[in-house]
Amino acid sequence: MNRFLAGFVILFMTAGAAAAQPASVQEQIYAARDRVLPALVHIQPVIKDYRTGELKKQAVIGSGVIFDSNGYVVTCYHVAGKAVRILCTLYDKEEVPAEYIGGDPSTDIAVVKLDLSGYDKKISVADFGDSDPVQVGQQVLAMGSPLALARSVSYGVISTKDRYFSSDYRLPSGEETGRFNLWIQTDAAINPGNSGGPLVDLSGRVIGINSRATFLANSLGFAIPVNIVKEVTAAILKDGGVIRSWIGVHAQAMQELESYFGTGRDAGVLIASIDPGSPAEVSYLKAGDVILEVDGESVSARFVEELPAFYKKIAGHAPGSRLKLKVLRDDQTYTFDVTTGPLGDLQGEDFECTDWGMTVKAITRQMQISMQLSDTAGTLVAGVRQAGPADTGGLRSGDVIRMVNKQPVSGLTDLVSLYTQLSSERTSKVLLTVKRGSATRLVVIKVYEGQESKAGTSDE
Amino acid sequence: MNKHQSSCGWTIVKNTAVAGLLLLLAGTASAQDFDFSRLERKARESAVLLQMQIEFSYGMQTNEHQQRLMGVVVSDDGLVVFDGSFIGDDNPLSPMSSFAFRATPTRIEITMLDGEEKFEAEYLGVDRVTGIGFARITGAGDRTFTPVRFVSGKKFAVGEWLALYSLLPEFARPSLSVNVGMITALVETPESFPLTLGFNGYELASVAYDSDLNAVGVLGVLTDPSAGDMAEMDFYSEQDFPLLGIITSERLNAMIADPPVKGRPDRAWIGITLQALTPDIAEFLRVTVPGGIIVNELVPGSPAEACGLQVGDVIYEVNGSPVPVDREEEIAIFQRRISDMGPGATVQFSVLRPFDDRLDTLLVSAVLEAAPLAASDAPEYEDMRLEFKARDLVFSDFQVFNVPQGSIQGVVVSEMREGGLANIYGLQIGDVIKGINGTPVVSVDDLASLMTGLDQQQPREVVFFIWRFGQTLFVNVKTS
Repeated sequence: MNRFLAGFVILFMTAGAAAAQPASVQEQIYAARDRVLPALVHIQPVIKDYRTGELKKQAVIGSGVIFDSNGYVVTCYHVAGKAVRILCTLYDKEEVPAEYIGGDPSTDIAVVKLDLSGYDKKISVADFGDSDPVQVGQQVLAMGSPLALARSVSYGVISTKDRYFSSDYRLPSGEETGRFNLWIQTDAAINPGNSGGPLVDLSGRVIGINSRATFLANSLGFAIPVNIVKEVTAAILKDGGVIRSWIGVHAQAMQELESYFGTGRDAGVLIASIDPGSPAEVSYLKAGDVILEVDGESVSARFVEELPAFYKKIAGHAPGSRLKLKVLRDDQTYTFDVTTGPLGDLQGEDFECTDWGMTVKAITRQMQISMQLSDTAGTLVAGVRQAGPADTGGLRSGDVIRMVNKQPVSGLTDLVSLYTQLSSERTSKVLLTVKRGSATRLVVIKVYEGQESKAGTSDE
Repeated sequence: MNKHQSSCGWTIVKNTAVAGLLLLLAGTASAQDFDFSRLERKARESAVLLQMQIEFSYGMQTNEHQQRLMGVVVSDDGLVVFDGSFIGDDNPLSPMSSFAFRATPTRIEITMLDGEEKFEAEYLGVDRVTGIGFARITGAGDRTFTPVRFVSGKKFAVGEWLALYSLLPEFARPSLSVNVGMITALVETPESFPLTLGFNGYELASVAYDSDLNAVGVLGVLTDPSAGDMAEMDFYSEQDFPLLGIITSERLNAMIADPPVKGRPDRAWIGITLQALTPDIAEFLRVTVPGGIIVNELVPGSPAEACGLQVGDVIYEVNGSPVPVDREEEIAIFQRRISDMGPGATVQFSVLRPFDDRLDTLLVSAVLEAAPLAASDAPEYEDMRLEFKARDLVFSDFQVFNVPQGSIQGVVVSEMREGGLANIYGLQIGDVIKGINGTPVVSVDDLASLMTGLDQQQPREVVFFIWRFGQTLFVNVKTS
């Protein structure tokens, strides 16, 4: 219904414009440019990287667009998500600092807020359009800072509007991304640095946020559809992020398996895998079940392109909701009540143990599942500094610290307090009990041997 | 009682250039003490040229290759040893066999250095620890051979010189080459494994003679993690290069009396993963023994679990003799000791069990079992129609998958032909097949009978239920 109406509006406007005063494509491009380009932002965040066993700050460059008169800018999570400071350059070349408001790694969207206290002009705001009725072949503009070249506009068409990528893909900061959305593919030139910049239709509305390009290929860029962006930015402004439900099922496209599972065409979502300990497992769902209905509404995923909508439907409930799943199993239908849990953070908080030469990370539920850990107890070793005390002692990234000097470490907080205490006492030998796979190893870290302690251990 | 428990040894030998300099400083016996003409005659009697037809395979691609290398006759009925380190049946660090480059001798022809006599030989196997390969001459009738006799009881000493005879097989008429070096170190362990860093580039199985013209060992590998030893995998060590040394007569004579056989589970394990008791850890545990093994993990169902060992225990004696392991590099000492005892042997461990406030001392007895199968020795099934191979899951698979032993049931896809049906419909190497068309698969026997049944029914599709990277999924292979 919505889809139809929205499509109709576009057609009507085009027809109306044509009837009143035929605008050439060139004139339309100019008009669209003038509506969005002044709201374009060149973003230079300094992001934190803990992967090498020490906190490294890294200057990156991306793009963004102002979508709110209070100075909110939408960009990509992989641009601004781990930023310690953000410097923005507006279209008029004025530099303005910004602060990180929130982000959503699952859709790779983040919001930063411009600090306009030193900026005396009025900012421009771009309008979000509607990404549902966009059409393959429709002309679009991409705006941003490709290879840091600010204020660049490129031009092309929408190549595909329902590009699917497996959510095995991970952001540089480690989060799985792409489970809940498809992508708009365009041949408008998109390069590194375009990330976070707008994809704009010829009526001058943002229809997507550019986020990915394909290396070693020509003209293969991908934007997150603006309808997803609208929901996510609203959630970020309200809650700082998107709160999602999770039941722990992995769905698989049904195509070619319908006759095997005895379902009709376009009927049902096949469960391929169930996460251990998840609500779905607790509720006795199992791999091979076909979900026919969720709370009375039919669901189907014959093609992979339909999977994100299914995941989004589950995720859209408040955590703790009771879902009624009608399921086909061995030619019988059953109804399962599944109480959803929170999806929670995909990656845990990071911390640098400077004196010990290592970085650690809180273990979230989702990390536990993807790393096949038995539980979330302990703290993950995210990295060891080469030739540092942890490295010399035999610690490896991927180890899970369970005890420090025989004191239990249930999570990051325990580790941070033990580390802070031991390093303030300048304890020279520390015994870590770590899990490596299913083995329990002992690691001795020797520090301060004829050297001064390095100050500054905490993250911010 | 145990034939390997005598004080056999390895010897560190440095090669001539370096040793020559040392000689001047040390002022001991020189290379000229060797009667090279007699040694050469002696070495010639037992040296042979092997022309080996080798099948190299990578995935389902195979090709044949000819190789010439030195062999040494070690028994009068024609047992021959050679450098078998390249015969990689399996690489335990990447047990998916198609990631590993496999070399299998298919035909061996042996040429005697004296007289151009030629014989066929049968490949027997490789000792995975030392890299020494074994073959037996066939079709020689009553002909007897002149073997090298390895003299037992040799007391090696640092500073002593050894002459190492190897063959230069590249030449049309292969000639013997001698290298003289000095023993630079003896690595004294309970089993006395001296290593060598010298003679690198020489062929393994080259024979070492002392100045009394006695054969006292051959060049071999002390420990090589890529040599495909499941027991080594069990006791994973981080060492990533082989250490060469002189394999002494005692160990060689034991192997000659009972040569390794491909696929025979002749090595024992207790089923733990372990780490060395370093001085730092010992200090924390308030343990005063000079070294030991810390139990990191017990494999479910293993002798270690059955005998009551616990994670965190420190094994400091085996059958009453100390385990002086205080560095990770020395873990091999313990591994070798256990694996050499053989399946069925009873072993007594002296164990320290640390508690917060005290340290208990225990004696624990375990009956060793055969080390788990190597991936290459696991039963395998080849499906000609879908063009893939699968084999039973083995111990090392679970380590690679990083999941507890036995936590997944199925068979693992080991090889696949590119463009074959299994390949184009999305089966992958490393996938664990858990079921086919709804029927569970636990072993390759299950797989074989299911696939054979399907061959007769000629179905249009086969639906595999598989495990991949911690998740399950369905793969539909269209067969029509």
